Amino acid sequence: MQRDVGSVPLAPALRARLVSGGFQTVQELLETGPCGLSKEIGISKEEALEVLQVVRQECHGDAERTAARSGASRKCTALELLEEEQAQGFIITFCSALDNILGGGVQLTKITEVCGAPGVGKTQLCMQLAVDVQIPECFGGVAGEAVFIDTEGSFIVDRVVDIAAACVQHCHLIAEAHQEEDHLKALETFSVESILSHIYYFRCRDYIELLAQVYLLPDFLLEHSKVRLVVVDGIAFPFRHDFEDLSLRTRLLNGLAQQLIIIANDHKSAVVLTNQMTTRIGQSQSTLVPALGESWGHAATVRLIFHWNNSQRLATLYKSPSQKESTVPYHITSHGFRDVQPPAVTQHAEGAEMNPRKRPRREEEK
Amino acid sequence: MVVLRAGLCPGLTEEMIQLLRANSIQTVVDFVSSDLEDIAQKCSLSYKALVAVRRVLLAQFSAFPANGADLYEELKSSTAILPTGSTSLDQLLDSGLYTGEVTELMGAPGSGKTQVCLRIAASVSLGLKQHVLFLDSTGGFTASRLYQMLQAHAEEEEEQASSPGALQRIQVVRVFDIYEMLSALQELREHLSQQVVSSMGPLKIVVIDSVSAVIYPLLGGKQSEGLAIMMQLARELKTLAREFSLAVVVTNQVTRDSSTGPPKPALGRSWSFVPSTRVLLESKEVTLGKATTQRIASLAKSPRQPVGIQAELDIGSAVVTPTERL
Repeated sequence: MQRDVGSVPLAPALRARLVSGGFQTVQELLETGPCGLSKEIGISKEEALEVLQVVRQECHGDAERTAARSGASRKCTALELLEEEQAQGFIITFCSALDNILGGGVQLTKITEVCGAPGVGKTQLCMQLAVDVQIPECFGGVAGEAVFIDTEGSFIVDRVVDIAAACVQHCHLIAEAHQEEDHLKALETFSVESILSHIYYFRCRDYIELLAQVYLLPDFLLEHSKVRLVVVDGIAFPFRHDFEDLSLRTRLLNGLAQQLIIIANDHKSAVVLTNQMTTRIGQSQSTLVPALGESWGHAATVRLIFHWNNSQRLATLYKSPSQKESTVPYHITSHGFRDVQPPAVTQHAEGAEMNPRKRPRREEEK
Repeated sequence: MVVLRAGLCPGLTEEMIQLLRANSIQTVVDFVSSDLEDIAQKCSLSYKALVAVRRVLLAQFSAFPANGADLYEELKSSTAILPTGSTSLDQLLDSGLYTGEVTELMGAPGSGKTQVCLRIAASVSLGLKQHVLFLDSTGGFTASRLYQMLQAHAEEEEEQASSPGALQRIQVVRVFDIYEMLSALQELREHLSQQVVSSMGPLKIVVIDSVSAVIYPLLGGKQSEGLAIMMQLARELKTLAREFSLAVVVTNQVTRDSSTGPPKPALGRSWSFVPSTRVLLESKEVTLGKATTQRIASLAKSPRQPVGIQAELDIGSAVVTPTERL
C-alpha cells in the first residue's frame, strides 16, 4: 500500500513528527511496529499504538469499504446511479407547479435550500413536507418519517394538525374514487395521530446545539431508519449573531454542510434547509440576497427562493443540477401549500400521463 | 526526508549509521549537507568511505536529466486533448482539456460548474469511449441529467452509441471529506500503477466536483492544518495528472473582497499555483424579450491562450450548446 503518511487522519503535530522522522508511506509505519515507532519519533508507546490503529483502520477500511458497501456504496458507475435515482421517489409539495419545476418534488439524497423574506412561507413548506413525506407508497408517497430541527421556534403544531388533516382527507378521497384494496389498507394506519407521532422534533437554541444535533443525527437515524426527510428550519438564524470571527463561521458552516450531505447520501433522505434574506448594497441599487454569504451558496444542491410580487407569492428555482431555472406562483391556504389555481382539465390529462403517481386533482381540496 | 538506513546504498553499514546517529545525523539531507571532514573526525570513520557514500546518495536522489527534444517527443506521444462537449469552451481552452494538466472551473453558486463537469463526463465517455472518474463531494452529481445529455449528444452525432454503455464507463465516487478524497485518489494511483484494468479500463480524465467543499471545513478559524492537507491534495492531483497522463478537472468556489468587488477564486494564493488553467464561469441576467440567463466562461489563467478571452455557454437546455462567440 503506497499511501502517503500525510493523508491519514492524524493530529497535525503527530503527522509533522512522522514526516520529520522519515516516514513516507503507510507501509513503512506498519512495518516499524508500536515499540519501534515510539522510539523513532519520541512519543509514548500508547500514542504509537493509537497511531498504528488509525493507520491500520484506514488501510483495511479501504478494502472492506469496497467490499461491504458495494451494494449501497459511495462508489458506483453512473448507470447504477441512474437506476437508483429512477427508483427513488420524490416528496411532493402539494403544489404541482412547484413539483414540476423541481422535477417531481423535493429530491431524496439532495440538499434543498429554501430562501425567502419573513412570512413568505418557508416554514409552511417545511411543515407541509414533514407531513407529505409520510404519504403511503400506494398513493405515490415515500412512506417515510421526518426529523424537524427548529432553531427559530417557528414550528406551530396546530398548523401541522391542519395540514395533516387535509392530507389524510385527500388520501381518503383518492381511495373512494379508486376503491383499491391497498389504498384502504394503507389508510387504516394513516391518520393525523400517526403523522404527528412520526415527526421527530428538535429545538436548538444556538449554533452549538445545532451543530451537536446535526453531528449526532446519524446515530438517531440508525435507530429510525424510516426517516426520509431532515428539515433544518432556520439554518441562518443561529449563525447570524454571536460571531466575531467570520472565518470561524465559514469553517463551521462548511463542516455542517458536508455533514448534511453525508446524512442525505447515506440515509437516502432529503435535507431541507431554510435561509433568511439579507440586503447586499450595490453601487446604484441594493438587492435582497440569501444570507450567510456566497460560499454558503454552494452548500445546497437545489436552491429555491421565495419572494413576493405585490400580493402574489412566487417561487424561483435558482440552482439545480437537473432542472432549468424558472419561476412559478404558489399559494398558502388553510390546508397548506397549494397551487394558485386548480390547473385546467387538459393539464390534468397530461400530468396524469407523464407521472402515473399523480392523481387527478379534485374540487374539494382547493 | 529519507532516513539513513542500512542497505540504502552500498557502503552504508549499520555500524556507520549508528555512529552518524550519535552525531545527530539521521536523514539523507543531514548527511549530504554536513561537512564530511568534520564527521570523519567526530565519528572516526574513513573520509574516503563517506565521500563515496555521499556520491552514491546524491546520484540516487537526484532528478534524471532529460533534454527538450525528448520531452517534446514524449509529449507528442502521451498527450491527448479531450473535448469538453462544447465548441466555444473548447476554443477557449485551445481545443480542449489537455492530459497531464489540472484545469479548474470556478464560479458562484448556480453558475453552471456541475453542468460543465457532467458535460465533460458525457462527452469523454460517449465521444471518445474512455473511462471517466467522477469524484462528487457536494452531492451534485445527477445521473438523470447526465443521461439527458448523453441522449442529446448521441442524437446530435447520429451515433448508434448506447447510452447505458457510456454510463457504465463513468465511475462515480462520493467523497464527503478530504481524507476520503485523498484515499480515493491514492487508491486510483495504486490501481493505475499496477495497471489494474478490470473495472476501470483506460482512464483519461478525473473530474472533482468541488474541491473547495472538502477543504473549506478545514480552513478558517485559528487552525492551520488545513493548508498542509490542501497542499497534499494538490501534490496528489499533480502527480496523477503528470505520471499517468490524466486530465484533471476540479471545481472551485469564488469569493469577493467586498460586496461589490470582482469575484476571485477561493482557497487563496497557495492553491492558485495548482491548476494550470482556470476558467471563470459567470451567469448574467439578460433581458431579451423575456428574462434569460446567459453564461459566460472567461479564461483567468492559461499557459497557452491569452488571459481574459470569453466564450458564451448555453446550459439551460438539454445540451450545453455553443451559441456565438464574443
